[in-house]
Amino acid sequence: MWWGGRGQSFNIAPQKEEPEMGSVQESRMPEPRSHQPSSCLASRCLPGEQILAWAPGVRKGLEPELSGTLICTNFRVTFQPCGWQQNEVRWLGGLSRVQLLRPGSLLKFIPEEIMIHGRDFRLLRVGFEAGGLEPQAFQVTMAIVQARAQSNPAQQYSGITLSKAGQASGSRKPPVPLMETAEDWETERKKQAARGWRVSTVNERFDVATSLPRYFWVPNRILDSEVRRAFGHFHQGRGPRLSWHHPGGSDLLRCGGFYTASDPNKEDIRAVESMLQAGHSDVVLVDTMDELPSLADVQLAHLRLRALCLPDSSVAEDKWLSALEGTRWLDYIRACLRKASDISVLVTSRVRSVILQERGDRDLNGLLSSLVQLLSAPEARTLFGFQSLVQREWVAAGHPFLTRLGGTGASEEAPVFLLFLDCVWQLLQQFPADFEFSEFFLLALHDSVRVPDTLTFLRNTPWERGKQSGQLNSYTQVYTPGYSQPPAGNSFNLQLSVWDWDLRYSNAQILQFQNPGYDPEHCPDSWLPRPQPSFMIPGPPSSVWLFSRGALTPLNQLCPWRDSPSLLAVSSRWLPRPAISSESLADQEWGLPSHWGACPLPPGLLLPGYLGPQIRFWRRCYLRGRPEVQMGLSAPTISGLQDELSHLQELLRKWTPRISPEVHSKKRDPHTILNPTEIVGILKGRAEGDLG
Amino acid sequence: EIHTNEKEVTEKEVTLHLLPGEQLLCEASTVLKYVQEDSCQHGVYGRLVCTDFKIAFLGDDESALDNDETQFKNKVVGENDITLHCVDQIYGVFDEKKKTLFGQLKKYPEKLIIHCKDLRVFQFCLRYTKEEEVKRIVSGIIHHTQAPKLLKRLFLFSYATAAQNNTVTDPKNHTIMFDTLKDWCWELERTKGNMKYKAVSVNEGYKVCERLPAYFVVPTPLPEENVQRFQGHGIPIWCWSCHNGSALLKMSALPKEQDDGILQIQKSFLDGVYKTIHRPPYEIVKTEDLSSNFLSLQEIQTAYSKFKQLFLIDNSTEFWDTDIKWFSLLESSSWLDIIRRCLKKAIEITECMEAQNMNVLLLEENASDLCCLISSLVQLMMDPHCRTRIGFQSLIQKEWVMGGHCFLDRCNHLRQNDKEEVPVFLLFLDCVWQLVHQHPPAFEFTETYLTVLSDSLYIPIFSTFFFNSPHQKDTNMHQRQLSLPLTQSKSSPKRGFFREETDHLIKNLLGKRISKLINSSDELQDNFREFYDSWHSKPTDYHGLLLPHIEGPEIKVWAQRYLRWIPEAQILGGSRVATMSKLLEMIEEVQSLQEKIDERHHSQQAPQAEAPCLLRNSARLSSLFPFALLQRHSSKPVLPTSGWKALGDEDDLAKREDEFVDLGDV
Repeated sequence: MWWGGRGQSFNIAPQKEEPEMGSVQESRMPEPRSHQPSSCLASRCLPGEQILAWAPGVRKGLEPELSGTLICTNFRVTFQPCGWQQNEVRWLGGLSRVQLLRPGSLLKFIPEEIMIHGRDFRLLRVGFEAGGLEPQAFQVTMAIVQARAQSNPAQQYSGITLSKAGQASGSRKPPVPLMETAEDWETERKKQAARGWRVSTVNERFDVATSLPRYFWVPNRILDSEVRRAFGHFHQGRGPRLSWHHPGGSDLLRCGGFYTASDPNKEDIRAVESMLQAGHSDVVLVDTMDELPSLADVQLAHLRLRALCLPDSSVAEDKWLSALEGTRWLDYIRACLRKASDISVLVTSRVRSVILQERGDRDLNGLLSSLVQLLSAPEARTLFGFQSLVQREWVAAGHPFLTRLGGTGASEEAPVFLLFLDCVWQLLQQFPADFEFSEFFLLALHDSVRVPDTLTFLRNTPWERGKQSGQLNSYTQVYTPGYSQPPAGNSFNLQLSVWDWDLRYSNAQILQFQNPGYDPEHCPDSWLPRPQPSFMIPGPPSSVWLFSRGALTPLNQLCPWRDSPSLLAVSSRWLPRPAISSESLADQEWGLPSHWGACPLPPGLLLPGYLGPQIRFWRRCYLRGRPEVQMGLSAPTISGLQDELSHLQELLRKWTPRISPEVHSKKRDPHTILNPTEIVGILKGRAEGDLG
Repeated sequence: EIHTNEKEVTEKEVTLHLLPGEQLLCEASTVLKYVQEDSCQHGVYGRLVCTDFKIAFLGDDESALDNDETQFKNKVVGENDITLHCVDQIYGVFDEKKKTLFGQLKKYPEKLIIHCKDLRVFQFCLRYTKEEEVKRIVSGIIHHTQAPKLLKRLFLFSYATAAQNNTVTDPKNHTIMFDTLKDWCWELERTKGNMKYKAVSVNEGYKVCERLPAYFVVPTPLPEENVQRFQGHGIPIWCWSCHNGSALLKMSALPKEQDDGILQIQKSFLDGVYKTIHRPPYEIVKTEDLSSNFLSLQEIQTAYSKFKQLFLIDNSTEFWDTDIKWFSLLESSSWLDIIRRCLKKAIEITECMEAQNMNVLLLEENASDLCCLISSLVQLMMDPHCRTRIGFQSLIQKEWVMGGHCFLDRCNHLRQNDKEEVPVFLLFLDCVWQLVHQHPPAFEFTETYLTVLSDSLYIPIFSTFFFNSPHQKDTNMHQRQLSLPLTQSKSSPKRGFFREETDHLIKNLLGKRISKLINSSDELQDNFREFYDSWHSKPTDYHGLLLPHIEGPEIKVWAQRYLRWIPEAQILGGSRVATMSKLLEMIEEVQSLQEKIDERHHSQQAPQAEAPCLLRNSARLSSLFPFALLQRHSSKPVLPTSGWKALGDEDDLAKREDEFVDLGDV
């Protein structure tokens, strides 16, 4: 994932790389001048990749400047420094990234320098050598421009999949469940101990909704025929499904908007209501769109942010803050965190079931539901848990990645997923000990959304994805309701997902996905299951609340349709006492802790800060294009310490094989806490010791 | 109900802890202290007392502290203590209207709001207090915090007399005070500046000048009688020497004169002085005039007073209102920009010394404000010794305390002149914080140290930050019985320290040889850029030169200091504290392993003991640690929900469900 240079790659410490680079550069200098690079370059090509044009050049913007070759292939633009030893494949993503061409996009003269701005905030700046080689500079520039114009992001690059498929299957770690089989859903359901729920196969042939996964969770006692009936009254057939079951008994559901034009009969309304309530007496309906940015807002903010972060952005230093505020990106992150925090308090601390309702149910619902789970469920904060969370709430749930990331050229581009990743990064900043994955993992994921090697982020719906994995190049087929051929079972094994990190990263790089500061002891998953007398008992109508603008208001009925007498008639009798009595207000004012306030904070629940000063700017991601900021992006101190620790332990193990690790890890020095300066001293001392 | 509370208070009379020499002045009972959390306000009943050292609130639940929290309690200033010097503004609320309180009051407020200089906000409700007591306590507090004071009335002196000074300083961990000739010689030796500079004792007993310390360092060729000529003005005083021999000097301006004759004399004097330090090609000096073309004290004052308002919050709603516009408000205060300018200036000077091998002479009217700031920053960046705790304290002692920074006036401890109150030292600490924040491994101390240091500006137990000059301190601390007449601080115009005549003088002083440097500011900018970029493109050596990043996104708000009292800003179990405790754990482990290995090498048996780990027992600390420990009330979920109560508590729910069942049966 880097442009071939050292500084911009996130996972190689620049310090370590430098001396090596220097020496290599000197010794291999003559190579590009041999005018026959094609053969040696071709050997570095991926299967199925073709070099369109190449030109020798000098990579600029970083010290020291590297000389090498700029290559444009049918899949990527890459810069290979002279003699750079490639051990693993470096993906540069699709060609969709060339945005700006200098000088001018109508190339009337030979360029001296080319600047390529990546959509992922990176910048490749290559200056061409003068004298004799200029035509090549012209060729490569034109090739890049043309390739950009022709590229189709929906096109998957299959070479790597085929070549690596065999290797990947033998990986040691349990693979992230792709949530494409009923077994995956059943396993996950058991893991969450959602006893009142079952896996429904009603959408196995994608005939309820193509944007829904083939399987999802519905309440136990609801029949598939009722599911089908109820789902028809939701926008795009996206009826209420379980997202997450809280061990305390409450559920988090998500669904699309009510299809108001439909005219449901009583049976249908009953089915809808029982699916929404799922046996709970108290449910809170959340209007997801409320207080959150619209898709157009997100897109605009992201564009502004990208403009602000360009290396040649003209914002003065002292105007940076207001410019940043002007993008509103941080404001949107704040809104998401705030809402997610409120909902997770409802679900966990107040043990109320929450239904997230968004008209399309494919964008902010996924964002909110994932954030709530990250805040409430410690399992979701592990590397594995997070990946399956994204797979479940985004990929399987049918987030239209291709459209939102601008792949289809449609106007509905909005990087909601990137907004989500930034939210997760904020949480990571605020709770550094609670997440198993690191910032580097988030960066890798952030960059993966544009890499065309797996289908994960290249399709809009599970249906398209499933078809693709069965028969390649059938993307253009028109969907017919009669589509009745489920993909052959064996094709799933061949499909690789973005979670197969070893396709793109070396083991050393994947190791950096781990957060060394992770301390699982902090978040014991010891939810006390509460007795749930009412759970899953078909009972009388219940109280329904609408959560909006940070306040709860009682709702008379769940569904918007006129003739839903069952709820309306009875609910007036069941409306609770007036929400706020004057008496209770007085209590509050005079400081005796109000009765609900005494509710303890559930262990493992994270309450993020979302005040202006607490929402930070993700420098390592957005400022990667700026050379002056790239330095100093090395690993945090804590991981350096971790290395040191393991090295020392290793050393000690060698010397004293008989001492058990517990013994020496328990011993502590009584009176000193080292300061970082001393640690550096220790490091130096160690290095010397090693030499001696 | 109030009545019963009142009873409880008298029963549970909490004892007031007085420091040696501290006297109780007035008190009031049944005061309600508001506890800020989520959207509703709670209160704690207790006594509000005012002593000659602090305002203290003695609540009822103070005994309920558990061990974990008392372990980190401040020994001198408790959670509800406000030292008199820490009080910034006092407001009274009359019929829901907030007014600043000062002088004699005709009407007494029902609510008292105290804004502190360390940015705490206290709200006391006096509605249930007896009228007599309200009068006494309010006027007492206003008088003792707002009225101009005499220096000898500072609590510092009562404390010093009452408490026997028996602090034993560990000779190894000793901060150099720079009050002896030996200290200066040692510093000269350490920086290898003793070849070209000498320590002089010409000002012993403050014979020459009360502004300067008794001992200081000047260029070796400078005749000592020159120092006496203008009472220490116009003398280049050595601050620090770089490893390559170039030095940082400072000079206070000559007094302004109208008379041409005197001006002529001044000019020739300066020329003479100048020749001793500017001897090309061996010694080249660059003059940096901090009085013009740089920050004015007025700017700093305005910026900070705007900036601190962002954090002095009376209630949550106010905070939420400003929250949306947070970044533009922050920017409009221009405090961060001032920090950037200071850091930039320090980098420029570092560049001159490090890359161009030039001496740099800082010029300021009294050489005691921005001179201290810039020269300390330069030393922090260039001298790794200053980044140790002892080194940093010695630096503050050398540049600020001995450098004659007017702490008394700048902190407005005596309340004599509000215009003189300029947080220059705080600005310095904030600049240091930026460095610490950007390069934590380069410093022995942490941001918490800096925060505590900033707080100690307002605790009148330490004499360090309570005098305008070493002379003032010596005369008042040692010969108090003489009760010398106080030197009234004169107010001086902050703009235009140098008149046109003196400007002319400075230009003369600079001479033709380096005027090139002054005029071609573009070239200067290029040098700066090149130096800055090239440093940042190399891996950082934490034991060498250290430069801060100064781009827009890099200058940040010192969150620990400014946000620590705001419950809304609390992140439970998160933030840097989490990393820090993990770091400490791992450091301990590394160290113990290291010792093991050493043991193997030397085959010695070192005694080992189990260490009580500092942070182990408190697994989930809040981000406000170690300051606002008692915000534990906030550990409940924060959900600003007005209809929240409607959900009822668990019991209610159970009841309702019972009813359901009954109904079903019917």
